[in-house]
Amino acid sequence: MNPAPVFTFTCPVKTNSGNKALEHLPVELAGLNAGNPLIITSRKAVGQKAIQTLLDAFGDSGMTLGLFDGVTTTANPDLIEHLKSIYLEKKYDAIIALGGYGVVDAAKVLNLAVSLKTADAHKLSPATPIRGHLSPLVVVPTAAASGLETSKFAHFNHMIYSSEYLAPNLVVMDPRLTRGADGKTIAATGLAALGRAVEAQISADHNPFRDAYSFAAIRFIKENLPAAVKKPSDKKASLAVLNAASMSGCAASDTKSARLHKLGQVFYDIQHIPPGVIMAMCLPHVLGDDLKEGACDLAALLHPLVGDDEFARTPAAKRAETALAVLGRFLSDLYGTLGKDLPRNLKEACVPGYRMEDILDGLGQDEEGRYLKTVVERITG
Amino acid sequence: MLLPDYYEFCCRVKIVAGHDALEKIPDLLIERGAKKPLIITDKGVAGAGLIDIVTRALRDRVFADLIADNVPPDSDLRVVNQLAGLYHDNACDAIIAVGGGSVMDTAKGVNIVVSENATDLMAFSGVGALKRPLKPLIAVPTTAGTGSEVTQVAVIKDHEKHLKMAFGSYFLLPDISVLDSRMTMTMPPFITAMTGMDAMSHAVEAYYCLQKNPLSDAHALAAVNMIYQYLPIVAKNPADQDARLSMAVGACLAGIAFSNSMVGLVHNLGHATGSVCGVPHGMCMAIMLPYGLEYNMHKREDAMAGLLLPMAGEAVYRDTPPAQRAAKVVSLIRQLNADLNTITGGRHARFFQEVRDRDGKPMVPREVLPEIARAALSDGASIYNPEDTDYDDNLMVLEAAWEGKPLDRNKVKKG
Amino acid sequence: MSIVKDIQSGRKPLKRAYVGIFLWFTGRAIQATARVDQEVKKEFDNLPDDFTFSLGCLPDGPCMVIGKEKGKVKYLGSNPGKRHVHVRLAIKSVDAAFLILSFQEGTAVATTRNRLITDGEVPYALAVIRILDIVEVYLLPKIIASLAVKRYPKGWSIGRKLGGRIGVYTRTLLGI
Repeated sequence: MNPAPVFTFTCPVKTNSGNKALEHLPVELAGLNAGNPLIITSRKAVGQKAIQTLLDAFGDSGMTLGLFDGVTTTANPDLIEHLKSIYLEKKYDAIIALGGYGVVDAAKVLNLAVSLKTADAHKLSPATPIRGHLSPLVVVPTAAASGLETSKFAHFNHMIYSSEYLAPNLVVMDPRLTRGADGKTIAATGLAALGRAVEAQISADHNPFRDAYSFAAIRFIKENLPAAVKKPSDKKASLAVLNAASMSGCAASDTKSARLHKLGQVFYDIQHIPPGVIMAMCLPHVLGDDLKEGACDLAALLHPLVGDDEFARTPAAKRAETALAVLGRFLSDLYGTLGKDLPRNLKEACVPGYRMEDILDGLGQDEEGRYLKTVVERITG
Repeated sequence: MLLPDYYEFCCRVKIVAGHDALEKIPDLLIERGAKKPLIITDKGVAGAGLIDIVTRALRDRVFADLIADNVPPDSDLRVVNQLAGLYHDNACDAIIAVGGGSVMDTAKGVNIVVSENATDLMAFSGVGALKRPLKPLIAVPTTAGTGSEVTQVAVIKDHEKHLKMAFGSYFLLPDISVLDSRMTMTMPPFITAMTGMDAMSHAVEAYYCLQKNPLSDAHALAAVNMIYQYLPIVAKNPADQDARLSMAVGACLAGIAFSNSMVGLVHNLGHATGSVCGVPHGMCMAIMLPYGLEYNMHKREDAMAGLLLPMAGEAVYRDTPPAQRAAKVVSLIRQLNADLNTITGGRHARFFQEVRDRDGKPMVPREVLPEIARAALSDGASIYNPEDTDYDDNLMVLEAAWEGKPLDRNKVKKG
Repeated sequence: MSIVKDIQSGRKPLKRAYVGIFLWFTGRAIQATARVDQEVKKEFDNLPDDFTFSLGCLPDGPCMVIGKEKGKVKYLGSNPGKRHVHVRLAIKSVDAAFLILSFQEGTAVATTRNRLITDGEVPYALAVIRILDIVEVYLLPKIIASLAVKRYPKGWSIGRKLGGRIGVYTRTLLGI
């Protein structure tokens, strides 16, 4: 178990997943004392069909819904301030974020703004003290998810907010919202989930509570991502990938050492490459170094990856390297399936040379940053 | 790992675990803007000196002198109202519950009254009557078993009106559960064994009952692993601090698993035996657990087989042919009960015939089994059991559990 | 113009109608089964004299109420009026009700999938679920009913199976 004298874990998010999950939303909101939600989304990112599916789920509820569908990647404090005043003026009492990535980040910061009421959204920063529960926030992810939707983090306006109160109260995953996604999108979602869950599972500060989330996430990705990528219309497999993404976010909230996460985030912030794509490129290198140095508990990956039989057959001393080999094969199969749709290195991902300086800067100057730069060198291609 | 067509999972409780976990409480209270907690406990816990450990950990940082140790073994509406009055009169701003299931239930009840300014607790009974967060509640369990530090339900009895009120809401989940090894160190082997098997039954039933889901599964597997490994150790060496902490963590994981996936026949018949004969809950769970597995095996053999690896480890798993793994799990649980029976000098009963009260009188005479079988029809756990149960089924299982004979699985009516 | 649009949630008239008709039908069938089947009769006999339960869907969807009046089980329409309701089964949405009443999910499965909110004393609620299970066995062909209940009954006599079914259907349709 965790070597620290005292460890803590918390996952404030309730999970609802499966058939007709969206239709439970009116009851779920009532349970949070809310009946007048504001939906925040991006029509461009999630599509009209997903928005309509969500709205239809409220059919027969008699509720009135607010809808803002114009979140962009450049959402800024002006927008948050504007939405905040509308929220307060129209007396909305909950936020539903439909989508992933920046949509949810913006929703988390908006929730902070409306909950603290008096604060000017321009003055919010990661240093803003958050002392208690915020207004209800529900996240409804689509197939394009970073995995951080369920986490306590919000990446907004070049800053990282972090508080367990920022995490949503509820995540609702419905198979209808993975419709129309392509293999490339699902792969990026699944690989980000894999990267974050692997990182949680092997880090020195792990504990059995967090392990439950990372274990289930890794198992789901291993068992379902290949099928979902090959056949995105396989609703069950796609939903399992979405579940894994949600679990990985819960685990990521409590993981301190997060090298893959950092690499993925830097490339996403600067070049908008989905973090899962970069995490997959870096994963074999980072874990390979760990194996050489005996730094992390790679053996802990084998059981979720291969299941009971193969795990029991593998001698303890071989588990770490077997896990790494299994991961390597898993990734190369995915690369095989997706071909050009899943870049194997930065060259294939078309990262322009002039951006590299910013990216390397973003990794920081400390020991970890210096190490991560060596990883980036190895994925240049 | 299977993804059900639909599932829900929630455990919002912040877990703080360690040998010095109690010392974190002041910071956690201050973060939540609280500094004057009401400490709720019972005489047994206070008498064992556990409250002194808690107050020592709090003193100097927050107010720690307001202690109510009058929680009865059976929750009582009058006590809830009296403690709520104490909370108001002293302008408290948080609750710390130190104890087992009854203390947790009482604290949850007090929290409803003080947070909602309720004059009638009844108005908040049932599911979903609470709509917003309550006052900060910190749960400090003193047994590694009930899991009530992570459950969203409370049962409060109105002894005057002979009413049993049940409350269910995610807002009843404690904000924080503090698992500290010092809180269970003095628990005698007999109680340790029984409460540990209670936790084991939570984990095992969570893994085969109808509402299981990937997250409850992951918690259940981890719980089974820790409890099976550490329960015999703490029963033998009560002072083993690391093993005590592992049991507290295992029981908490089991609590999270079962409060999301629910429980079945073991709890169904166990509750009924408890209410008809007064047998302690943990002992009923210990005795019934192998039978719950046997009764449901035709519907859940794969899931049960999946418990073998976390319980017995790789070598036993490899040496057991796949078709015999579920049956092996049953025999290992029977063996665990037998080992605990030996360790406790016979006080840990293996079957109902062996259960005796303080005077050595049998607590479950054979002729009450029909009454237990009937009472079980009124217990909600039957809904989540994989196989249907009626009066005859209940009686058949109880007869076997009374004699201590394995269930004849050919006689189970299969749906 | 505001960047936030206000949208009135729609209606689901077809599903609502289906659920309404089925609740009406099930209500009358429960009344009929209580007259025809000894086991259901016994379950009701063990319940209080003014026992009332409702099955409906949230927030204000169709609902059916069954109550005991002078020892007889009656379908009381959609509104309990002033009667004390002992057990209230509330399905979370009209879509969830459709899943249950189109027998895609049995009562137990729907409960384990958190589709139902049960309010009231547990022993009464369990009796109601046992009654609903038997009624389903009467109303539905075996192939569908065996999906809806955990264990399809085996020991029923031909008389109970066939005669009972004819009795339940006749009385349900005639409302007696």
